Amino acid sequence: MLTAVKNQVRVCALSVKYNVMREMLNKVTFLTNILFMMFNNATFIVQWVILLRLRDDVGGYTMREVMLLWALAASSFGLSRILFARVFSLPDLIINGKLDSYLVQPKNVLLSVMTSETNTSAIGDLLYGLLIFCVFCFQVKRLLLFLLFTVTGAILMTAFALLMGSLSFWFVRAEMFGNHMVGSVTSFNTYPDGIFRGTARFLLYNVIPVGMMTYHPVHIMVEFDAAKMLMVFGYLFLLSAAAVFVFYRGLRRYSSSSLMEARM
Amino acid sequence: MRKYVVIYRSVLMENLQYTVNIAMGFISYFFIIFVFINLWDYMYAAPGDLIAGYTKEQMIWYVMITEMIWFGARSTTIRQQVPTDIRGGNIAYLVNKPYWYPLYILAKYTGEWNIQLPMYAVLTTVIGVTMVGAVPNFHPVTLLAAVPCIVLGVTIHGMFKICISMLSFWIEDSNPFQWLYDKLILVVGTIFPVEIFPASLHPILKLTPIYTVCYGPAKLIVDFSVEKYLEILLAQVLYLAIGCGIMCLLYEKGGRKLYVNGG
Repeated sequence: MLTAVKNQVRVCALSVKYNVMREMLNKVTFLTNILFMMFNNATFIVQWVILLRLRDDVGGYTMREVMLLWALAASSFGLSRILFARVFSLPDLIINGKLDSYLVQPKNVLLSVMTSETNTSAIGDLLYGLLIFCVFCFQVKRLLLFLLFTVTGAILMTAFALLMGSLSFWFVRAEMFGNHMVGSVTSFNTYPDGIFRGTARFLLYNVIPVGMMTYHPVHIMVEFDAAKMLMVFGYLFLLSAAAVFVFYRGLRRYSSSSLMEARM
Repeated sequence: MRKYVVIYRSVLMENLQYTVNIAMGFISYFFIIFVFINLWDYMYAAPGDLIAGYTKEQMIWYVMITEMIWFGARSTTIRQQVPTDIRGGNIAYLVNKPYWYPLYILAKYTGEWNIQLPMYAVLTTVIGVTMVGAVPNFHPVTLLAAVPCIVLGVTIHGMFKICISMLSFWIEDSNPFQWLYDKLILVVGTIFPVEIFPASLHPILKLTPIYTVCYGPAKLIVDFSVEKYLEILLAQVLYLAIGCGIMCLLYEKGGRKLYVNGG
């Protein structure tokens, strides 16, 4: 059992490694993508400088907390798209019957699909997250928590994308709906939770996983709270299990398009 | 010119078949507007407060209109088709057709936004009226004056995006430059009106596409004045001429770098 898990992890790691190596074939494009993505993210600092000139805090967040929020959002988004970028285009594989080449492999189908693509610009997101964390909010204890929540955030993001993407097994326009829902995570998780009230707040903590991805982790990093930590892990477990379950249930409905495809 | 009208009409008819797909984009638009309504609700501590001369309602309407332009002018033709044509070599076939490639793309783009933008305009009005209330001191005649500015703004936006996509003649992937332009428009242009920035930056911002693409049309709807109208219209005409010049230059220079490998 342990050997099988070890082998599977090794295959996934190799898959990601070869994805990155493939992207690095054109070094100029590879580096431009990373650097420009970091610069692209940095433009939002202007937005927060202006907003925090108007008021001392936004939703209870000062510049330090906003940067912590941004660092975590960028790094978990980045990590998710470095390791599991294919999840975000899963509907394309389902609709066009491109899952065949994964189904015939002697390894776990879901993990093979998930790790079969890497988004180069996501490396820029991850590096940007780490960079602004170090510049604005560095503490050794907080760094450990930050790294931990980067991983949990990436898993939550991936699980949510997998759940939304798997809807394409059942519904025709689920692809677009899913994309917009996954996009909404990015829209919400770069703004403080203090500006949302009532139903919106409830949805952000329970339906769209933004609360568990970034809001609770930021609160924990500012002031440690074991109960919130347990909630994050509980939610992570539930969402991941639900996403995997829905994917495999949906896979039973999958029909091939007899597309000839080879995976190198 | 007739051939471009035919291209425009065919894309328009094609897009009419996909109105449901376009309407799915309303989800993202709604989420973003929802975030900004909450954000500005928080920023305006008391009703009647002014930030950079804007009331809360004016500020939210400003953001909704700029986002409407942003979403309404989204186009796969200028963002994906141009770089793909150039990188993949398909442009070698397209340059031989009896049309000028940049105008062909612009005609297709116009066909796309002519469906999208009115749909987003209706949605903006519905969200605005139900969640924010009417635009203070708004007069319907203002809308007539603002429409040409919106049309010019969206065209200028498309022209600059085509120019950036044509950088693919020199570099393989023009996407990073698209991100930067997008962020310039999004972060500086759609979220805040120019007045919110320090006065020393105003002349610089007026020289950027932000002024003609987002700020101008939105400003005219939320706070119309004849002087501003003429100033924005003049800036847009100048920008259109400059954008046209850059587009021609890039296409001519880029075309010379084209290699035909056969196949």
